[in-house]
Formats: sequence, structure tokens, C-alpha cells
Amino acid sequence: MTALTTPYLWYSTRATGIVALLLLTLVVFLGTFVANRIGGTIVGRFEINELHRSLSIVAVIFLALHIVTTVIDSYVATGWLSTVVPFASPYKTTQVAIGTIAFDLILAVWISSLLKVRIKNATWRFIHWFSWIAYITALVHAAMIGTDTKGTTGLAFVAFSAGAIVVAGLWRFFGRPTRAGGRTALSPLARAARPAAPSAKSANSPFPRDQRPTSKGRPRR
Amino acid sequence: MGVIRRTGSFVLKVNPILCDGFGHCHELAPELVDIDEWGYPIIKKDPTPFGNVRALQSARYAVRGCPRQALSIERVGDQP
Repeated sequence: MTALTTPYLWYSTRATGIVALLLLTLVVFLGTFVANRIGGTIVGRFEINELHRSLSIVAVIFLALHIVTTVIDSYVATGWLSTVVPFASPYKTTQVAIGTIAFDLILAVWISSLLKVRIKNATWRFIHWFSWIAYITALVHAAMIGTDTKGTTGLAFVAFSAGAIVVAGLWRFFGRPTRAGGRTALSPLARAARPAAPSAKSANSPFPRDQRPTSKGRPRR
Repeated sequence: MGVIRRTGSFVLKVNPILCDGFGHCHELAPELVDIDEWGYPIIKKDPTPFGNVRALQSARYAVRGCPRQALSIERVGDQP
């Protein structure tokens, strides 16, 4: 590698790492919003979903900057192989490897989402669960190797992120709605008067009455 | 032959096994999808002509925005 030893690469690595972690926190929260059927009144549910998708791309861009600036900074020897293969970095092998594992998991989630229309939805969902492990791994990586996570502010940031992911996880698990989140109040149709013919309406529904979930109770999986 | 044919009609089709009642389709294509009180879609059954570009665009957004990939656009009628 050419001798790229300006300190600015190192500063960029630190800064983009912090921003990437913050963005990942946001993306995880927005994903929890979508799964828990938040929205539908002031903002649409589809808008939260679109924000989740768009912000995840921004997070991946910052993650790419974080990784590229780390590798081309020749002050520490990591090497291109260590971006995807864990334990390939001579510099701080374990700590870098944890970040590599996080990146591999994020890569899996990202690629499966790009291919979402081409793969089975169950496959996509299974891979999407990796994002929780990816976030926790990334946080451990930040806490172990982060230059900025040593001081009070940095430790507060790590604690905030850890608290956020725990809150999101608990909320995702316990705050799961019933399968259907109900009518959303956003669309013009929702504001219009309901047709006063429930029998004709349910005849149109593609779901037979006995297969419908009730408004109470756990989702059937 | 190199010309986009805006003939024929389409309906949205929902896969009821995949649908989890997120309600995104109703927000994205309210003219094609109503929602029952449990949050599941009631799809408009009358075919919409492909020439109705705005409805077609709504339908495409709904298909793309479905978190469970449960929607598809199906051509109806117009078989040569």
C-alpha cells in the first residue's frame, strides 16, 4: 500500500464509524417501527418503511467509507482481505475481526434486501434477523477498538447505543401487534365514510371469516 | 413491436398466505386497495386498464412497498 499516512484518514475512520453506528441505531429503530405497525396517522406506514430502506443505504455508505479509510490508512496494517475475512488483520486481530463479522452480516442483510423481489420472502426474513446480531457485533467492535469510545462521552455513546438496541429488541418482541394493524387513517378512503354494508364487504374479502385473526391475541405463526 | 402496448387491464392480486396486514398497499394505492377492519386488503375486483397510468403506478408502488411481497399485478382478459 502506498504510504497514506495523513492523520485525516484516521480521523475519517473514527468519524464515519461513529456516524455509521448512529445511523444503524436509527435504521434498527425504524425497522422496529415497521414491524410493530407504527404510523398511519401523521406519517404513513409506507413512509416509515421507505425511510428505513433509504437510511439503511446511507448507513451502508458510511460503513463503506469507514472500512475504506481504515484499509488505505497505512499507519495500521489491516489489509483488504480483512474487510470480509475475519481474523485476517495483523493489527488488533480480534477487535478488527469482530467488525468484519458485523460487516459480513450487514452485507448479507443488504444483498438479501436488494434481491427481495427475487428470493422467497421467508428467506429474506430469516436473513433480516441477522441485523440484530450485526448491530450488537458492531457495538462490541466499537466499544473494543474505538478510539473515541474511551472517554466519558464515548462511553456514554456506547451505553446509549446498547440501551437503544435493548429497548428496540424488547419492544420488537413484546410490542408485536396482532397480525393486522388495522385500518390506517392516512388515506382518503379511510377518511371517507365507511360503507354501511358489512356483509357485502366481508363477501368481497379474500379471507374467509373463519381464517381471520381476531383483534385480540397473539399473531399465529 | 417496440411499442409499449397500453392495452388490456390488470388487477392486483394478493397472496393471502404471505399477507400480514401491514396496510402499506392501502396507503400506496388507495384507489385499488381498501382495508377491512382487521387491516387486511380488500382488492378492487374490476380490472383497471393499463392505460390508467396513475393507477398502474400506484399498483407498482404497492407491489414494491409490500413488506411481505404478497402483491402482484395480474393481466386479465385481452388474450389474443
